[in-house]
Amino acid sequence: MSFILDPVLIFRILVFPGFTFIFFLTLFCDWVERKLEARIQNRVGPMVAGPGGILQPLADFIKLLSKEDIEPRDAKKLVFRIAPIAAFSIMVFAMCFIPIDGASVLSTGGFNGDLIIILVFSTVANFLLFLAGWASANPYGTIGAARVLTQFLGYDIPFLLLALTPAFLAGSLSIFQIAGSAWPAILLAPWAFVLFIITLQAELERDPFDVPHSDSEVVGGLETEYTGAKLAFLHLTRDIQVVFGSALVVTLFLGGPSGPVFFGLDWFWYTLWFVLKLLVVIVISEYITTVVARLRIDQVLTGNWKILLPAAIISLIVAVALVTWVYHPLGIGV
Amino acid sequence: MADAKTWARVKSPWVLHFNSGACNGCDIEIVALLTPKYDVERFGIKLEPSPRHADILLVTGAVTNQCAERLKRVYDQMPQPKFVVAIGACACSGGVFAGTYNTLGGVDKVIPVSAYIPGCPPRPEAIIDGCVKLLNAINPPKKKKRKQVNGIKEATKSEVVPVVMEVKQDGKQ
Repeated sequence: MSFILDPVLIFRILVFPGFTFIFFLTLFCDWVERKLEARIQNRVGPMVAGPGGILQPLADFIKLLSKEDIEPRDAKKLVFRIAPIAAFSIMVFAMCFIPIDGASVLSTGGFNGDLIIILVFSTVANFLLFLAGWASANPYGTIGAARVLTQFLGYDIPFLLLALTPAFLAGSLSIFQIAGSAWPAILLAPWAFVLFIITLQAELERDPFDVPHSDSEVVGGLETEYTGAKLAFLHLTRDIQVVFGSALVVTLFLGGPSGPVFFGLDWFWYTLWFVLKLLVVIVISEYITTVVARLRIDQVLTGNWKILLPAAIISLIVAVALVTWVYHPLGIGV
Repeated sequence: MADAKTWARVKSPWVLHFNSGACNGCDIEIVALLTPKYDVERFGIKLEPSPRHADILLVTGAVTNQCAERLKRVYDQMPQPKFVVAIGACACSGGVFAGTYNTLGGVDKVIPVSAYIPGCPPRPEAIIDGCVKLLNAINPPKKKKRKQVNGIKEATKSEVVPVVMEVKQDGKQ
């Protein structure tokens, strides 16, 4: 099995752009979000841990790892223990398909259909979070978990449909080919980009769709009963979901890692462009989160079924029509 | 490794606020801490919704007889290591309610307290000062002793739990 012992592949999986890089990128993005939210609210945000508080998410993570781990007597022990770490692992695995430095982590070119795979992974991760709350034997955890699933019914179909729009524009279901298409989808279908960002807020459970873990209503939502290392991984799963969602926007709509390469080391420039684009998406997402208020769960569902779903279908139809009768005859984006 | 743990604990104290029968004066001051003017997120202090997530329990109010059991339960629900900060004259000693038939008069009658912050209500600066002193008691700074500021002594030695402090009210009230 030379495949397993290949040192380059092991380095790519464990260090760059694999696990270690994704882990620290996640913590960095978490810091950017907290700092940005604080600045928008006229605060300063974390300052003491590291320069500018940049080590704050790491401090939170280490502290949670070192805390006592309490398991409620009535919790379903197996699911309670496995769900947080499984959700985290699946999100990291999904990130491995994203071409961060110009190639995905596992193989250089991906395969046709890996877009569907990673969308399924993100769904499974959400379902594991639901199980985590459901198994914790706490009324607030159960309500939070039920809300995760209820909200999931609302946004998942528009989310998939909107993800298919750039796939159709590129004529491929391979993430690598969508990211590498001549024209990024934001130029060819800007409306789909806007709709995708809105749906992403629901997918990531952020304002105005943060019903599942609204502090003022359901205490901590599905995290209520979690302590210590399990809570650390639940938090990390949430953060990595944000990074994954933003990375998906970058890959599908903003051309992924592609950008000008000035001298040598093309992977360095690809990573740089990718992270910069990622930060742009995170800033947009965080801005929406900070300035809007929370909707009720019924408003979320009604809005998603009555507005977002028809809009997603129309978006796909318009994209198909444009590609067939406008873009291809004119030779745009081919 | 132990250093990293201590560092992380000091840099990321998450708090839970419990009102054991206060008049809301101290609670408003705690809320003032979290809002833009004093913004304690600078120190990594975050208000958590669930006792399972919290490291520090901020208790206000002279503990009423009915509340004592709940206070104990919330304290028991918190994971180790945990600290309790009694905020306000009532939480420290019963305040104006000391000796009444329906209060126990002080948080330390029910649960162990690490830091007392007197005042009616204590100013937000005093609460921040108390929290920072508690954190310094967990991980004493290695630099030389700081000077006394406004007559407030620094808690420098480790294992100074409980930390008892005297915070002078400034003239303005």
